[in-house]
Amino acid sequence: MFTDNPEHKKWSQRILLIPLRHLQQAIGSLGDLWRTPLASLMTIFVLGISLTLPATLELFVKNASQVTANWNSAAEITLFLDLSTTDKSAQSLVTRISLYPEVAKVQYISAADALKEFKQLSGFGDALNYLASNPLPATILVTPTERASQVIAAQALLEKLQQEREVKQGKLDLEWLTRLQTMAKFVSDIVLSIALLLCLSVVLIIGNTIRLAIVSQKDAIAIMKLVGATDQFIQRPFLYTGMWYGVFGGIIAIIVVTLLAQFLTLSMTNLAALYDSQFTLQNLSLNEALLLFAIAIGLGLLGSYISVKQHIRAIEPTAD
Amino acid sequence: MIKFDDVSKTYSGGFLALKQVSFELATGEMAFLTGHSGAGKSTLLKLISLMEKPNTGQIYINNQNITRVKYQQIPFVRRGIGMIFQNHNLLNDRTVFDNVALPLIIEGYGQKDIRKRVDAALDKVHLSSKLKCYPKMLSGGEQQRVGIARAIVNKPPILLADEPTGNLDPKLSLDIITLFEEFNAMGVSVLIATHDLGLIARMRYRTLTLKQGTMITDGITQSKPTPTNNNRFIGQD
Repeated sequence: MFTDNPEHKKWSQRILLIPLRHLQQAIGSLGDLWRTPLASLMTIFVLGISLTLPATLELFVKNASQVTANWNSAAEITLFLDLSTTDKSAQSLVTRISLYPEVAKVQYISAADALKEFKQLSGFGDALNYLASNPLPATILVTPTERASQVIAAQALLEKLQQEREVKQGKLDLEWLTRLQTMAKFVSDIVLSIALLLCLSVVLIIGNTIRLAIVSQKDAIAIMKLVGATDQFIQRPFLYTGMWYGVFGGIIAIIVVTLLAQFLTLSMTNLAALYDSQFTLQNLSLNEALLLFAIAIGLGLLGSYISVKQHIRAIEPTAD
Repeated sequence: MIKFDDVSKTYSGGFLALKQVSFELATGEMAFLTGHSGAGKSTLLKLISLMEKPNTGQIYINNQNITRVKYQQIPFVRRGIGMIFQNHNLLNDRTVFDNVALPLIIEGYGQKDIRKRVDAALDKVHLSSKLKCYPKMLSGGEQQRVGIARAIVNKPPILLADEPTGNLDPKLSLDIITLFEEFNAMGVSVLIATHDLGLIARMRYRTLTLKQGTMITDGITQSKPTPTNNNRFIGQD
């Protein structure tokens, strides 16, 4: 009777049991968390709140970039025409430009209009009447479409416009657009750095929690090793514990971010109303919520994996 | 089944625990391992159960050289050895059933198989009624029997016992040894480390004696010769 080995068992039967055993261990780990509710809750909340902060910031960046997208119409291209250009050829140029697919609006300022405006604004007044001829060129103000107003697209449009025979010089006020985009990049970089730091701290916290769990189970682990348990077998419940921390921490993060966004929408709507603006804060989309959830689980697993790899191997059974 | 070939073990710090020990425990053989504290009994058991590695010499378990076995292979070697400890080494937060089932769960047996085998193992140690008890609710002798049930539940070819009767009275000790004899009769190799010389004298089995790390006797310790099937005299080489 001592000769039948587990190896003789049908492999198909044993493989079929694997998912069932994993499910049992996953539920078992959940039970372990339930048995120490306070400690588990604290870890779960640390994870949830740590993820809430970068997620909320990310939500702001998303909303801010949507708002600034509306401001891009200010990226205007100014075209100074050659002095020799007649009014007629200038008009036909305006017509041609307005047919460009990248162009939303074209405004023509004739040399005479420009001089008139200059007289009013500069304060030289009648002194300008002594000029023999109008030194100012005719000007065309081109507003690109939203799509073509991104820095690179606008630049391309400018070059294209400069190819026109009548255009002597074109100017695109890129500076503030570049500044805005750099600023936006900077803010999202800050958010990214904060997110990375918080993720790191989440991994460390989970790792430490799992380490304490391993240490408290030290004797049991030694016994399991003695009766032939592999490290993989021993570490599995701890990995599941890490996964559960991630699951619950992720759920908390999603709930808190959603509530926070709703709360902030209220005050923002009031603020926007004062500026006659119809601004609504966009909440987490389903994809973003799922991503947040996946990140939480990933961090939980990573933290427990690092801890398990380090500490389970170190526990060796002793004869005493 | 267990073979030591010129095995020496020095602990870090220079303490020489075993000196060129050679012996072989054949399949289906039962033997006692004895010696004073510090004679090297524990070291020998630790070498067999892969808790320590020898400095020189070769050790074979179930025909496998375990001297240079990889870390990942250790659990699989241990599955071939049923280990029984003086302090029982039971998981106190699990029932008797779960304790005995542990080796089977580790090896991935199905629920039905586990129940069948655990029932059979507990039946052999006469603890079928204590299935749902926790170790703390049992007496020392009962806990020891739970440990034995766990050691035999996956039917390993070798049983290794470290002072299995350490805290038990003579009557209970004899019960435990009788259990080992039953398993031995089924073809299991049994090695029992003990300093209970009275017990050994009564049992008339092959006895390996260690003194300061050296195997000084390897034979039957008995007052008067009473030949039985199990008795074998193997002189020192």
